[in-house]
This record gives sequence, structure tokens and C-alpha cells, in this order.
Amino acid sequence: MIALDERPVTIDSSGHELHGVLHLPAEPAGRALVFCHPFAEEKKCAHRTMVETARACAGAGWAVLRFDLRGCGDSPGEFGQFDLDDWRADVAAALDRARREAGVEAVGLLGLRLGATLAAEVAEQRSDTACLVLWEPIVDGERYITQNLRRSMIKAMMTRHEGGGDAEGAAREAHALGEGTVDFDGYQVPERLREQIAAIDLLSSRAYAGPALVVSLTPREAVAEPLQRLAGVYPRGVAIAARQEPVWQRIGIIDAAPTIEATVDWLTQLD
Amino acid sequence: MADDQLRQQLKEMIVERLFLDVDPAQIGDDEDLMESYEIDSVNLFEIVVGMEEQFEISFEDDDFSVDLFATVSSLADFVARKRG
Repeated sequence: MIALDERPVTIDSSGHELHGVLHLPAEPAGRALVFCHPFAEEKKCAHRTMVETARACAGAGWAVLRFDLRGCGDSPGEFGQFDLDDWRADVAAALDRARREAGVEAVGLLGLRLGATLAAEVAEQRSDTACLVLWEPIVDGERYITQNLRRSMIKAMMTRHEGGGDAEGAAREAHALGEGTVDFDGYQVPERLREQIAAIDLLSSRAYAGPALVVSLTPREAVAEPLQRLAGVYPRGVAIAARQEPVWQRIGIIDAAPTIEATVDWLTQLD
Repeated sequence: MADDQLRQQLKEMIVERLFLDVDPAQIGDDEDLMESYEIDSVNLFEIVVGMEEQFEISFEDDDFSVDLFATVSSLADFVARKRG
């Protein structure tokens, strides 16, 4: 049994008390990371991977702060009550907290999917970001919305099919939720948040100048083309392919070792 | 009617994206994919993304039907139609 030094923390973000878990290395090493979680159902699916990642990074000497954004997980508020501006502020607050906890000047940001996009946006604005690790960031917001709508349509189609109903009608019904509020796999995303997500265009954003790792979780050996382009936007960016199943699409245990090990290897090389 | 090469490309894409432990050539053109490979909504989503990326086609909302995803042949016919 590995002895783990983990403790719950509360992060004050503009008066919102966010829930977090701090993973500490056996020896203080002066290095810290904040893990930014993905969105909605993807967060639930990826939970165990995030825990395993935090523990692996702590084992490699990094203090890691996992936390829940406002309205998500164990943090207060209702899902849909907040928007990307609120969540960027939450990431910044977590970064400040991790810096104090670890007693360091700069903290790395690691994120998955929309969490990676938030991490990239916050890193652009903060000079105290030590490094940036982006796992399958959302590069194109419109495409992300389309894919979420499709996921809902396919799920509705299959549910009706298995129940002997009108599968095509179910798909139309699912799509009808696309007006104003959109349905992300059961999570109702209000119009303002939808518009903010649609405006995401990570390739045209101001690039973070520090060391950046972009990880493509892929069935192939090659990095997905948009992620390769994104890594090229960062002056010190590198992209790698981790050959494995997506960790954000299915509830259950997914072996995330290829992604976690590649990330820890890269972090270790920063020393 | 779609050609053999297209059907083989689809089989390889399905095996790759769904991490199936099967030789693509062993998948029958008219085999029931959902029944044989326990394909669920997550798998179907992967197939849609894979088809769009590999064959440079776009699904429209009206395209989604269970029959479309029934077999490799039905998927191949769909790709051939989309390509015109």
C-alpha cells in the first residue's frame, strides 16, 4: 500500500468556496500543478483518471491541486448558473492557492478537454504559469457543441431503438433542444454559456510562451491535426500521441497509463 | 454500390477507433455490427467522428438512423452517396 498525503481544501474564488483535493509529494519539491477538469458528463467519466494522474504526479514530486469549478462536482452552485468567465476566475484562484500551498513562485496548469482550454486561456494571462499540459483541449468551440449535440442525438436514437420506438424521431427531439439552451448529454447549457463556448478558437489565441505539452489521446500513432497545429502555436510547444481510448466518454475504468506516463515523463524533463 | 476498398477502409477504421480485438477482414460486409460487436452509443459516436475525418464527409441531422449503422455495407453506401 502506498502512503498518500492527500487532503481536502477549500478555495475562495470571488466568495465562492470551491472544493479541492491537494495531493502532496513525500518530499516538498517546490513544484506544483493545478488540474482543470473537463465539462459536464465528461468530468464524471474522467474522474478516476484525474485522481490517478494527481497521484502519479505527486509521486514524481509535484504537489497537485484538483478542484471543482463553480456549479460542478462538490463545489457549490447550480450547473448552468455560471459561465466561462466565472470558471477562468476559478482556475486563477486555484492557481493562487496552489502557489501558496507549495510555497512556489509559479504553478503549472494541466487540463482535460474544456478544462484544458480554460487552462490555456488562463496561462495566457498569467506570468506565474510554470508550464502547460493540455490533454485533448477544445480547440474549436463550434465543433465541440456540434459533437455534444450529436452525442445526445445518438444516445436518444439508441434508447428509442432498444425500446422499440421511433429512433429517428428521438434524434429530432434531441436536436430540438439545440434552440437557446443545448443539451450536453443531460446537462442543460444555457444560451450565454453556449455562445461563449462557440466562440472558442484556441488556434487564434495569444500563445503562452512557457513550456507546453499537447497530448492527443488517439487510436492512431499520429497526433490529431488540430492538436499538432496548436502545439505549433506555442513557442515551446510539443505534441505527442498517447495511444489509448478517450477517458471522457464512458463511465468505467479506462487504462490511462499511456497519457499519464507521457505527462509525468515530460514534467520530469522540465527539472 | 460502394466498392470493396471502401468497405475494407471502414472495417479498419471501426477496429482502430473502437479498439476491437479482431482482424478487420473478418468483419462481414452485412454482419450486424451492433449485435456482433456490442456497439453502443459511445461507439457509434466514435464511428461518426471517424467517418467524417477519414472520408471527409459531413453528417446532417437527418442522416442519423439505426439502419445506417447496421452494417459495413450500409455505412459504405452512405459514404459513397455523400461523396457523390
